Amino acid sequence: MDANMDERVYDLIFICRPATPEDEVNKIVTTLEHSTGELGGKIEKTERWGTRRLAYRVAKHREGFFVYMVVKSTHGDLIKELERRLKVSDAVIKYQTIRLDEELKRQQKLGKHRERRAGRRPRKQAPGAPPQQPVPAAAAPQQQQPQVPAASAE
Amino acid sequence: MSDQPAPPAAPETPSPSPSHAPRAEGHTGGPPRRSEGHGGGQRREGGGPGGPGGPGGGPGGPRRGGKRQYFRKKKVCRFCVEHVDFIDYKKVEMLQPFVQERGKILPRRMTGTCSRHQRWLGEAIKRARNIALLPFATEL
Repeated sequence: MDANMDERVYDLIFICRPATPEDEVNKIVTTLEHSTGELGGKIEKTERWGTRRLAYRVAKHREGFFVYMVVKSTHGDLIKELERRLKVSDAVIKYQTIRLDEELKRQQKLGKHRERRAGRRPRKQAPGAPPQQPVPAAAAPQQQQPQVPAASAE
Repeated sequence: MSDQPAPPAAPETPSPSPSHAPRAEGHTGGPPRRSEGHGGGQRREGGGPGGPGGPGGGPGGPRRGGKRQYFRKKKVCRFCVEHVDFIDYKKVEMLQPFVQERGKILPRRMTGTCSRHQRWLGEAIKRARNIALLPFATEL
């Protein structure tokens, strides 16, 4: 089943205690990279956002060291393993994995759709103007005609 | 705040005749348009949200009835204007204007966001909350 799965994109964010030394954070990142490699995934990006203020208290901390990763995988168990590792490590106080590929796909689709529509629009406007006149109101059209281009220009 | 009518029914200009105007912006959700033209029955439907004093129900001529004492500016979805196809939960500065001081998600009727973007926005805010980028509720 896993072989048939499309490649999925995940956002992985974890927060370490603010007092965690840099080495420890690096160690966590390397372990994650290692297990990702083992399970056939790929880490696209790793960003260290540094120490940021938390919106609420987490494990009695008001600040945390944020690390953001983008993981690609065709194997669903990878996320399970990564989350297990994050749960086990003491320095990590919070983590979140989000599957993003469907939303990115939707984004691309909408972008393409818009491009196509933008390409079509100028052609449609010219023949579209005349049929707008025969609308219920019988007396109005004479007054409307000058207004039509103004309304469409908006 | 308490008595805000749900659809942002705001005739931008009183001048355009009702026959072609709704067609031009049909995709924006079609606010009920109070037409000054003919058709008294339609005018009644438009007066659903009920402005202060309910001038829509007035027996006066149809031309006068359309004129409002107050003008509500038509709210436009900010995301539609900028052609946003994906609302990123990591961009907190982008989400912050849609969250109240105490952390509540602002309703559509306040911000003018379209239903699709409000749906995405709500999801993004909830994700940001989960990873402590936004508060669930601010502590006192």
